[in-house]
Amino acid sequence: MADPSHIASRPAPGLIASNLRRMALSEHLVLWLCLVYFAVMAPFVPGFASPENLVNLFVALLPLFLVALGQTFVLITGGIDLSVTSIIALTSVVGAGVMNGHTGWLAGHPLAGLAAVLVMIALGAGIGALNGLAVTGLRMPAFIVTLTGMMFFSGLAVWFTQSKNIGNLPASFNRLGGNPWLAGAIAGIVGIFAHRMLTRSLFGRWLFATGHNARAAFISGVPVRGTTVVAYVVSGFCAALAAVLYTGQAETGSPVLGQRLLLDVIGAVVLGGTSLFGGRGRVLWTLCGVLFFKLVDNSLNLLNLSIFTITMVKGGVILFAALLDAARHRLTGRNA
Amino acid sequence: MNPPDALELAGLEKSYAGVRVLRGIGLVVPAGHTLGLVGENGAGKSTLLNILGGIVRPDAGQMMLDGRPHAPASPAAASRAGVAFIHQELNLFPNLSIAENIFLTDFPRAARTPVIDRRELRRRTAGLLAELGLDLSPDLPVGQLSTGQCQLVEIAKALSREAGLIILDEPTTSLSARETAILFTLMARLKERRIAMIFVSHVLGDVLRHCDDIAVLRDGAMVGQGPVREFTIERLVSLMVGRSLAQLFPERKGAPADEPALEVRHVSEPHIVHDISFTLRRGEVLGLAGMMGAGRSELARILFGLDPHASGEIVIAGQPAGRDPPSRRIRNGLAFLTEDRRAEGLCLDAAIADNIALVTLRDRTRTVLRLLDFKRSRQAVNTMWQAVRLSESAAPDQPVRTLSGGNQQKVVLAKWLLAKPRVLILDEPTRGVDVGAKFELYQLILELADQGAGVLLVSSEIEELMGLCDRILVMNRGELRDELARSEFSQERILQAALPLEETRE
Amino acid sequence: MKASRWLERGLRQALPLLFVTMLAVFGLLSPKFLSVDNLVNIGIQAAPAGIVAIGMTFVLITAGVDLSVGAIMFVAAAVAGKMALAGHSFSLSIVVMVVIGAAFGVVNAFFITRMRVAAFIVTLALLFVGRGFALWLTQTRAMNLPDGFLQLGAVRVAGVPLPLALFGLVALAAHGTLSRTPFGRQVMAVGHNRESAGQAGINTTHILGAVYLLSGVCAAFGAILALGQLGAVTPKFGENYEFKAIAAAVLGGTSLFGGRGGVLPGTVLGALLIQAIENGLVLLNADPYLYPLITSAIILTAVLLDSLRHLLLAKGRRRKIRREPADSPVAGNLT
Repeated sequence: MADPSHIASRPAPGLIASNLRRMALSEHLVLWLCLVYFAVMAPFVPGFASPENLVNLFVALLPLFLVALGQTFVLITGGIDLSVTSIIALTSVVGAGVMNGHTGWLAGHPLAGLAAVLVMIALGAGIGALNGLAVTGLRMPAFIVTLTGMMFFSGLAVWFTQSKNIGNLPASFNRLGGNPWLAGAIAGIVGIFAHRMLTRSLFGRWLFATGHNARAAFISGVPVRGTTVVAYVVSGFCAALAAVLYTGQAETGSPVLGQRLLLDVIGAVVLGGTSLFGGRGRVLWTLCGVLFFKLVDNSLNLLNLSIFTITMVKGGVILFAALLDAARHRLTGRNA
Repeated sequence: MNPPDALELAGLEKSYAGVRVLRGIGLVVPAGHTLGLVGENGAGKSTLLNILGGIVRPDAGQMMLDGRPHAPASPAAASRAGVAFIHQELNLFPNLSIAENIFLTDFPRAARTPVIDRRELRRRTAGLLAELGLDLSPDLPVGQLSTGQCQLVEIAKALSREAGLIILDEPTTSLSARETAILFTLMARLKERRIAMIFVSHVLGDVLRHCDDIAVLRDGAMVGQGPVREFTIERLVSLMVGRSLAQLFPERKGAPADEPALEVRHVSEPHIVHDISFTLRRGEVLGLAGMMGAGRSELARILFGLDPHASGEIVIAGQPAGRDPPSRRIRNGLAFLTEDRRAEGLCLDAAIADNIALVTLRDRTRTVLRLLDFKRSRQAVNTMWQAVRLSESAAPDQPVRTLSGGNQQKVVLAKWLLAKPRVLILDEPTRGVDVGAKFELYQLILELADQGAGVLLVSSEIEELMGLCDRILVMNRGELRDELARSEFSQERILQAALPLEETRE
Repeated sequence: MKASRWLERGLRQALPLLFVTMLAVFGLLSPKFLSVDNLVNIGIQAAPAGIVAIGMTFVLITAGVDLSVGAIMFVAAAVAGKMALAGHSFSLSIVVMVVIGAAFGVVNAFFITRMRVAAFIVTLALLFVGRGFALWLTQTRAMNLPDGFLQLGAVRVAGVPLPLALFGLVALAAHGTLSRTPFGRQVMAVGHNRESAGQAGINTTHILGAVYLLSGVCAAFGAILALGQLGAVTPKFGENYEFKAIAAAVLGGTSLFGGRGGVLPGTVLGALLIQAIENGLVLLNADPYLYPLITSAIILTAVLLDSLRHLLLAKGRRRKIRREPADSPVAGNLT
């Protein structure tokens, strides 16, 4: 007797399995994770719940959120931008180079800060464009292009400053990053705009379509190439904006600025629910992911754990996030 | 005592998403015989072969190979059982040599080391190649072989596995005359070794000349089986196509106008299509018939701008297309429903509503920022939903993946209909669609034509073409072989124009 | 179509041409460059990264990537250093290093093949976990190792410096494995098309697992040789080795898209080229800050060439429907 169809009925999933499944697919998983983590750790971590700490947390969170936002756009198209940390470093030093009081091109000029910000943003967007063009036009794999870019641009930043930091930045500029209200406003405006773009605009739809099925999108008339390039430009732009905040906070332009961020950025975005496979992503999810990462970071720091432990933990979290993503991908795929 | 039959099938059933593709197939291949398997595209041949080769599992039925039950769980298992399936789409690795491809999973090794015994490998391969009359070095990378040579290498692979049953799926489509002759000589030699074969081909003359028995499939059922002497080409053709008018087609209300919707002038692309010229009029349904591999889909893709063409002109609703990308052609009124809806027509994980809205998004935006007007989008999607009579049990936010094949096709059609195209190209629109949905799709296609669009319908189902079209073009090996007006429609004539003529092989 | 075939052939010859050109340029700019001593030096310096690149070659052929190799080196070296400083025997330390390499490889393999997570993410995560762990082990301080390790750099085997000998040995073994064992051939098949390979009866899970294991072990060997050169473990140990390895392999003809690549001359030549450039720059007293710029520019060029080659090949593979009168009667469907 020949074998009955291979689409044999699977045994009905047990209660635990189906609950786990629902949890994994839940949109609010990370939000819950944040709340649970906070509740669990607060009693054990000195100063975790203090208002001062929370404000610091908020200020530290904002630049990371911006970078993660840009990364979200790229991930939605199914790509990845590993060069963001080097964009932060490079724009930081170039901006500082423009506006600093000693040797800056516009030293002392009242609009130096503004000019620097514009230069930084233009540079970030430009690098993003290069990335995007390489990925779409030359069909180079995103991870290697941006990984190489990271090496190149951080090398450029180090060479530009000869490994030195550039201080003496205009106070007006520093306030952008240091003042929680200003920084919050910037991040908020960008976040809301990004959210609108993703959910309500033509470009957003094109972005998702490209990520879901670039071929089908192209055949349906979507400008896949242009859309992808714009996604990388957005990523570069956001990284530059984050550099503005970071540089302001640190009050120096540094060629190693943001060096440790890559892990946080990708982990936060993927953990939040944006898929590495493309086609899924939300600004809010990214915000939750960033919040979680910062909570972990903050609490482990307050516990005086070494930076190594923290790095390892984060590596573990990114792995967990990727596993979760792969599981989600498999689960939704089986819903046929 | 008689040796057991090489292959015996009984009651084989297979359905895909509610569509019954194989209906109670029974088949016998006596030991050492060559069976010619004949049938139109979509008749169920591929499914049957896939079942034999372990690629899919049947829903019901029994298979006996050499008297033993045969129920392979995978292609590897089928191979181990002695079934060698030589696909039309070759499964070789161009970055490896001929010898390495043949012995990929059982290399001869030097005395208990993990190192390949190159000399033995070459020797065995050379032996196989010699049997095939192939004057090729065993070390030649497969990437440098012609398709025909690749096919013969696949046969060599089958021989090396000592297969008891070799399935050849349209092996001669890419072969030259000389290579075809080699193939048949080889098949004769295999017969001498008492290897049973199933030979699938559209070249009916070849089938009659080189097979011992013939089986004809139509609509998933076996409609004729017996020794070769009981068959002639005429009988084969009529068995393949002749059927009662089980399928109804909607009434055509309108008629073609004179104005051209699409003009194709001397379009050629080396190795793909040659000197294609025709005019599709407004309100006309023009059919494009032909066997698989005739170049119809390739032509459609060229018309849409997905693939380039070396010479010729394409004019869409009066606008020359030049080298325009698909997006520009869409704006000039062209629409294209591709052959593979899952890979190229739909974003499977996206919502149904999003899929339907995709092509025409731009039309429903406001302000410089191109913000979407959700209300208008919802209305448009709803209207289309009703128009294509999409399943009521589905929600607009559901992923398209969850729909049946017929409904998925409706989604793709809805997407294009929203664009109010002036020319719609459909490539196998009813493949994998159940009878009910088929009828509805036909209605939609005819409605579109009645509203003044030109429809180019590529289909492998001759009845479908005859039922819907005003005119039918027949393609064969990249050229237009015949053109039939409605009054001239005849299944035999179409099939004969589509089937490869032996005289044309150089 | 002929033109693209020429271009493709040309791209394949690019590497040896580049090598010779570069040797000539540097030789002209600095006579010391072409001295035997210096050339041997290049070989010795290239050995650690070269071995790592050899392991990476296998991974790249399967269209994967291993970004954790640098971290593996660091962890292995740190552990060995601690052991040596605690008085354990030199050979035991070496063995432990190899075991660590293998262990990381297994972990990578597990997540990539069983859990189906993208290779670059898994190995990226492991990169951070590994580096973090090693930094913790060394407390961010440099560890000076007992002389036993430095001997590695100085010892000569049959007149050949040990690093060179080991490099050569590993290269030969890898080349042999890739081109003359069923495993190697199956790696090529899997790299070309994982599905087809599965259908042909290859156990793709095993193959993929094995290549990551190999990569980890090679990273360990690379660490051993690097220790021999430095005699110490600094917080920057193994940094950017993943780059160098990928660059060497891709320059040597291995495609990021999988299915093509070779150790000899390919990757080995690529590794020598990269090292030669660095060596040349040092001799020319070039600004050390330029090194990462130049290395990444090289990688970018290599990847660019690879992508172009891939695009051209894809164009040539389109299915043919009809024969044109101009076609030659003999084989040749890849025009």
